[in-house]
Amino acid sequence: MTGEEPAAPPPGEPPATPPTAEAGPPAERATIVVTDDLERSRVTVFFRLILVIPHLIVLALFSILAIVLAIINWFWALFTRDTVAHDMQSRYLRYATHVLGYLNLAANPFPGFEGAPGSYPLDPQIPPQEPQNRWKTGFRLVLIVPAAILASTLGVTASSSYSGYYSFGLITTVAFLAWFAIMAIGRMPRGLRDLSVYCLNYGIQYWAYLLIVTDRYPDSDPLTKSYGPDPAPDHPIRISEDAELRRSRLTVFFRFLLFLPHYVWLALWGIAVLFTVIAQWFVTLFAGRPADALHRFNGAYLRYTTQVYSYLFLVTNEFPGFVGAPGSYPVDLHIAPPERQNRWKTGFRLILAFPALIVTSGVGGLLLVVGIFGWFVGLFLGRMPVGLRNLGVFALRYSAQVNGYLLLLTDRYPFSGPSLEQLPPESSSLPEPA
Amino acid sequence: MSASPAAGRRALVALGIAAAVALWIFAFLQLWQTSVPSDLSLPTLDPTHYFSQDQIDRASSYQTFLSVDALLALIAQLVALGIYAIKGPGFTRESAAGRIGTGMLLGMLGLAFVWFSQLPFGLAELWWERKHDVSSQGYVTWVIDYFLAAGGEFLFISLALLIVMALTGLWKRWWWVAAAPALVAVTLVFAFVQPYLIPGQHDVHNPAIAADARELAKQEGIPGTKVTVQNTHNLGGGPNAEATGLGPTKRVILWDTLVQRFPNSQVRVVLAHEFAHLSRDHLWKSFGFMALLALPIALLVALITRRRGGLYEPASVPLAIFIVAVLLFLTLPLQTAFTRRLESEADWVALNTTRDPAAMTGLFERLGRLSKAQPNPAGWDQFIFGDHPGIMQRIEMAKAWKQRNPGH
Repeated sequence: MTGEEPAAPPPGEPPATPPTAEAGPPAERATIVVTDDLERSRVTVFFRLILVIPHLIVLALFSILAIVLAIINWFWALFTRDTVAHDMQSRYLRYATHVLGYLNLAANPFPGFEGAPGSYPLDPQIPPQEPQNRWKTGFRLVLIVPAAILASTLGVTASSSYSGYYSFGLITTVAFLAWFAIMAIGRMPRGLRDLSVYCLNYGIQYWAYLLIVTDRYPDSDPLTKSYGPDPAPDHPIRISEDAELRRSRLTVFFRFLLFLPHYVWLALWGIAVLFTVIAQWFVTLFAGRPADALHRFNGAYLRYTTQVYSYLFLVTNEFPGFVGAPGSYPVDLHIAPPERQNRWKTGFRLILAFPALIVTSGVGGLLLVVGIFGWFVGLFLGRMPVGLRNLGVFALRYSAQVNGYLLLLTDRYPFSGPSLEQLPPESSSLPEPA
Repeated sequence: MSASPAAGRRALVALGIAAAVALWIFAFLQLWQTSVPSDLSLPTLDPTHYFSQDQIDRASSYQTFLSVDALLALIAQLVALGIYAIKGPGFTRESAAGRIGTGMLLGMLGLAFVWFSQLPFGLAELWWERKHDVSSQGYVTWVIDYFLAAGGEFLFISLALLIVMALTGLWKRWWWVAAAPALVAVTLVFAFVQPYLIPGQHDVHNPAIAADARELAKQEGIPGTKVTVQNTHNLGGGPNAEATGLGPTKRVILWDTLVQRFPNSQVRVVLAHEFAHLSRDHLWKSFGFMALLALPIALLVALITRRRGGLYEPASVPLAIFIVAVLLFLTLPLQTAFTRRLESEADWVALNTTRDPAAMTGLFERLGRLSKAQPNPAGWDQFIFGDHPGIMQRIEMAKAWKQRNPGH
């Protein structure tokens, strides 16, 4: 298998058509079309690090050429607003995405060496050549810094693409966990795949911007991507987003200090929750269903935690209340009423939560980046970029699902994909516990 | 001719107010009393016997800048809070926290206004201190420290507003009666735990100082009082010491800049002075004084904010903060006079304990030179900001003690 052929469709199904192959306006930014079916070969996954070596060598050589072209293009675009060898650079970006997707288990087939369009289940769509802004070109290396920090957190920066040396960002964590999951079940978990695709998607935008392929700044919004034809699974813990993007500069400047009273209250409440969770664990283990009162108490704590951290990390503008009341805050957590829970999952909850906790550490890094960038942007512009805000909402939602799993609010495993759509601000479709 | 019921009620109210004022004055006079002999008259000494004319001139110039800077900072603070009293209620839209939570936010934002208003003056002070080699702290470090220090104030005002606004929910008109003692109680709790919050403390390593500390504490009737040394040499400040804590947590903290640079005889005087603060219950007296101030201030806040719905409404918080700031500004001379009196008593007790006026004189000469403090501060400066007696006054007290105790 050379990887030159398009990915074969599952037996009995018509060949998948990449959405962007249809007529329509060109994509503004580089993006990835996903036709991956989540099936994985255990053998190739087991040996993935070895199998990818030829590609890493080719990628390293190709990278040298791409850098040289980028330098030429920097001068060229500065004088003519135009670039040269756009096709070659596009091919490089496609190839790098294929290789990194393969390496990180985001796709199954061994990729081809040409980086041909439509040849892989992760198919990058590179925007067509267009005139570039001279200012953006001149200061590209300065402008790229925030994107580079986020890309580094995601693990898709220079070190991961060029030298074979890998930076241990979120995508590496995902791949590490996915390796074990695939070995066990022969499939890539949907959430991990989507998260990996998000990282790659940001990575290709970042590289397209850095290599002067486009002057469109990378978009960190996880909700604008397509992660495949299937809808994301439902979950008993959902989040509703805040439509407000305005930020008060004064409260932004002092955001950390304004968080302190909440921090004290969180710590005190957390002590009580420690005991209620232990009690709930016994109740759920023996009765097979959590106690309503403890579910409400722990749910309020989780909702409060989400509200407070959304405030701290500038996902929201308004100072939150201290009781975690449902419907009291723009970013609100919707927690389904208690249901029967699997006793095995309850008994081994702490062990089962371990992989999710590892992902949470990476997602927590994203939230920190959102907070830091949001602080600077909020201070200067008085508003929060929608992409950063949505990334923060995703991180909060995933953390809430992990904590909800630990607090025995549900036995449904947290969904790590960013594709789980958020509820509209006014929604209260999920009933709150009585 | 019989008086109407309204006139009778007015008379009763007037009588009640008169009784409250009399009680207030009585309590204040009780706190005002110290063990310094009332007939003690300080001799007038010539500063040039202790400091060169050049030192006095430079100290005068140095101190004048700092005092003017502090006065301007105080005015800027009042202006900032005045603006905040008008604009502050608009910030209620930044909160989804309900009545009390919104009040807490507005309280913290009030301090944020103060923070900004004080920043240039603080930087000017640091620049001046660095210019005169009194401080070696960097500007960035100072700003970061200043920012983080605001965190403690934010927490305190949040707690204070939590208490006050919860009380307004219980007693809309009479909350102030309970608020003053409640706030003092909170301050007491902070004072109790404060010794554990001060970083970089260790036991006294110098055996002579440790022995002196044991002996002096015993002499002053507080045997076994803990003494620690705090590492402050990295902070770039001058020598200092403090008495802190309440009951079982009380202790004396010597800065390492004092222990390392001053002779033991002078450290001994400092120890005796700090022990005196503890043995003469100066912290308790300070809390009593604070309670005396808090009660009328709370009453005035309740009366003035009534038009905005009282402190029950979070929108009244900015105005309340402004009123408190103005009242604290107006009573500042009284506050500094009170602390000056306690410091004088601590000096006097230290003299009685150590019986070493020469060491005290040497200590203040040295402190004066290091801190570049004006030996005789300007009257207005001492009236507003003088929370300790002037250097010459303290030397004069040592002299007066010597005159009363010939042979030392």
